[in-house]
Amino acid sequence: MNHQSKITLEKAQCFHCGEVCQEEPIIFDQKDFCCSGCQKVYELLHDKDLMDYYTCDVNPGISPSTHQFEFLDSPQFRNRLITFANNEFSKLTFYLPSIHCRSCLYLLENLHKLNENVIKSQLNFGKKELTVWFKEKDLSIGQLANLLSKIGYEPLIQSEDEATSKRNNVFVDKKLLLKLGIAGFCTGNIMLFSFPEYLGLDDPKLAVWFGYLNLFLGSISVFYAASDYFSNVWSHLKLKKLTIEAPVLLGIVVGYSRSAYEIISHHGAGYMDSVTGLIFFLLVGKWFQQKSFDFLSFNRNYTSYFPMSVSKWINKSEIQIPLAELKVGDRLLIRNQEIIPADSILRKGSGKLDYSFVTGESDFIEIKEGNSLFAGGRHTGEMIEIEVIKDLQHSQLTQLWEQNSFKNPLYKTENWENFANKTGMYFTILLFTLAISVGVYWGIVNPKIWSNAVVSVLIIACPCALAISYPFALGHGMRWLSKFNLYFKNTQSLERFANIDTIVFDKTGTLTLHKEQSPKIHFTRGLLPEEWNVLYSLSLQSTHPLSRQLKKYIEQLGYSERVFISNFKELTAKGLQGKWNSTLYQIGSPKWLGVPKEEPEDYFHSESRIYIKIGDEFIGFMDFPWENREGIEALLHNLRMNYELYLLSGDKKQAAGPLSDWFPGESHIHFEMSPMEKMEFIQSLQKSGKKVLMVGDGLNDAGALREASVGIAVSENHLQFTPASDAILNGKNVKYLAKYLTFAQFGMKVIKYSFALSVIYNLFGLSFAVQGTLSPIVAAILMPVNSLSMLLIATLGMNFKGRKMQNLIDVSSLRPNN
Amino acid sequence: MDIIYVLISVSFVLALGFLGAFIWSVKSGQQNDLVTPGMRILMDEIKSDSEKK
Repeated sequence: MNHQSKITLEKAQCFHCGEVCQEEPIIFDQKDFCCSGCQKVYELLHDKDLMDYYTCDVNPGISPSTHQFEFLDSPQFRNRLITFANNEFSKLTFYLPSIHCRSCLYLLENLHKLNENVIKSQLNFGKKELTVWFKEKDLSIGQLANLLSKIGYEPLIQSEDEATSKRNNVFVDKKLLLKLGIAGFCTGNIMLFSFPEYLGLDDPKLAVWFGYLNLFLGSISVFYAASDYFSNVWSHLKLKKLTIEAPVLLGIVVGYSRSAYEIISHHGAGYMDSVTGLIFFLLVGKWFQQKSFDFLSFNRNYTSYFPMSVSKWINKSEIQIPLAELKVGDRLLIRNQEIIPADSILRKGSGKLDYSFVTGESDFIEIKEGNSLFAGGRHTGEMIEIEVIKDLQHSQLTQLWEQNSFKNPLYKTENWENFANKTGMYFTILLFTLAISVGVYWGIVNPKIWSNAVVSVLIIACPCALAISYPFALGHGMRWLSKFNLYFKNTQSLERFANIDTIVFDKTGTLTLHKEQSPKIHFTRGLLPEEWNVLYSLSLQSTHPLSRQLKKYIEQLGYSERVFISNFKELTAKGLQGKWNSTLYQIGSPKWLGVPKEEPEDYFHSESRIYIKIGDEFIGFMDFPWENREGIEALLHNLRMNYELYLLSGDKKQAAGPLSDWFPGESHIHFEMSPMEKMEFIQSLQKSGKKVLMVGDGLNDAGALREASVGIAVSENHLQFTPASDAILNGKNVKYLAKYLTFAQFGMKVIKYSFALSVIYNLFGLSFAVQGTLSPIVAAILMPVNSLSMLLIATLGMNFKGRKMQNLIDVSSLRPNN
Repeated sequence: MDIIYVLISVSFVLALGFLGAFIWSVKSGQQNDLVTPGMRILMDEIKSDSEKK
């Protein structure tokens, strides 16, 4: 008996994709493959002499998809995709989310070997983008996309907005890098030219010469490299707002004007080195902060959830049309696992619809001919034929996106004051008061030096520390968190994350796993109906989550007859037992049942296993997928000490299960919430002054994610659609949420401490400045030292904490880009 | 002391040259992707290995 169960345990691993083969593996070239798709890819690579693919990495392949891309040949898509075309060749860029290792690079850059009409292909690994030069006459875009998807790299066609925003990012990055380079050049040279002055050079001719050179370089630095500061402050002033950038810019402008005046009037050398040095450090900070995760999308709306094309049934044949061309009255074919693209009526066939992503309800809904279907449901079962009754823009699902918050891209930043800007405001007021009082004082006591003193105050007191420690601390924070599989959209969202006091969780897909899969069964023999009934009756008597899952499963098999069990016993951490017809039935752990643990821990952590023994006969075991994510209980236990917790779910109340124990009361758990209600709930929390973090996964959470101070979308893998959010978190790492929060809060502490330190620096400098005795050399030393120490504190602090975190977080669950 | 005029001009021109090189590299897209070229070098090694065989 044991021997038999061992055979089922030794599963073959696919040579191509590394997946464990669920069924009998296909054997080809003495290697195992999990499906014919993988085997075909292997065959293709074998024929084209691209076998090095398998030497770069272990099981590098991806099981190919069967998606068809002919619809890309329509002019609408062609115009969007092709970036360049002449008579000879065309050029386009595809986003291929499944790129993950060096082997991908090898295969994709050898695309010309797979198809002679491909001229050249170039991969950008970081962005997961493949640029292809190809002969469009002989190879259409659709065929090219089909080729890519055949070898496992299905292109993801992005919406126009997404593509444009990515292109803009590249442009902005380039510009910033240019400015940074030029600012560095100016700073370095000005420092060089200022040296003789500090060393006491007496040649007045040379000093003038250097002065003008410095003025020239300084002007470039101020008016080109720092030009963003002018435009930003100006646009904020128009809104009657003072940000941290205002006093910084004031310092720059005053320092520059004073220096220009000194140089032109041959009075001295000015503070040009301090001013340009400051600009350089500010830009370094900005550049550091800019790091974005290009392979992720934070701005998706519902349209990205739907397929790009649908199969239209017309004149007894099937054609692929782009989703945008869908009209009311169209007949469509929907296959297993496809998504209903618009509100419609079922005309032929039957099946089950899963609306969990759209409504949050985890139960499947049976559908029959004549039923109305709503856009967004995922169909399971045979192919069905549907008739469209509403186009996508007017369907139930899209109403959420008609809300104001969705139309304003700056919604969150506009309604939120960060620490830097709040401080910046007080700082500016304080600075002006100080400068004016110093001016008035010296105006009375010694009118000769009043302008000197005022200028020095404005230069030295500029809050550059905040402007520098901010981007570095938060930039490092973002980088570390991305290593822990939490990807933030930008540093502002990370700061908001550190400040939240209330956490709202979605249930399905966030705290619990999305799909209710059936267990994997490893029995030595089939069970008789009465034996199923006994197991059913046993499981009925227990409230253990696994018992409930077992009960559900047996019900699905069609056995639900209660039989009388005697001597029922539930043993904690062991299992259940009971007698029926004087035979002992036992369900539980292997240790308790005396089953030798023959296998190492080969099963995934996402499953829990129960063993079954009838009489003396060991029947086998069943693997149930976890209902709750692993470690959720511990997480909630930790969080509820410091945060107010809420649970929102689109599910019916019965589905709560043991999770409800972790929330403080009835008012904190809400069921049967529609997407709109979820959003309104968050709004009302925020109106009462709470800073809310929303953790959710589906389209049904999109409104709440948008409305909350911080919205984190949970995703099982990077291929999966995630609604617009501030951050994306790998589902496996939800359990570390408390640790992430601590880390972000540490980042804010670093900023505040370094700010305090810089205030001490500034006071020191100010003591010279108010006396009107700040010499350029003191400024030239004090300012870079100040900036550099901010940079160092932020970098060292965050890296120290990050390394410590690394030990606390299960590194094994961290897979690159996954 | 006059030599310093020459030296400074030379150093400035040199620095300008480097700045020019940097601007050129940014404009021509060399800074766009800093990951893939490093990996590509290793790929070439694999190719030449298999050619030897």
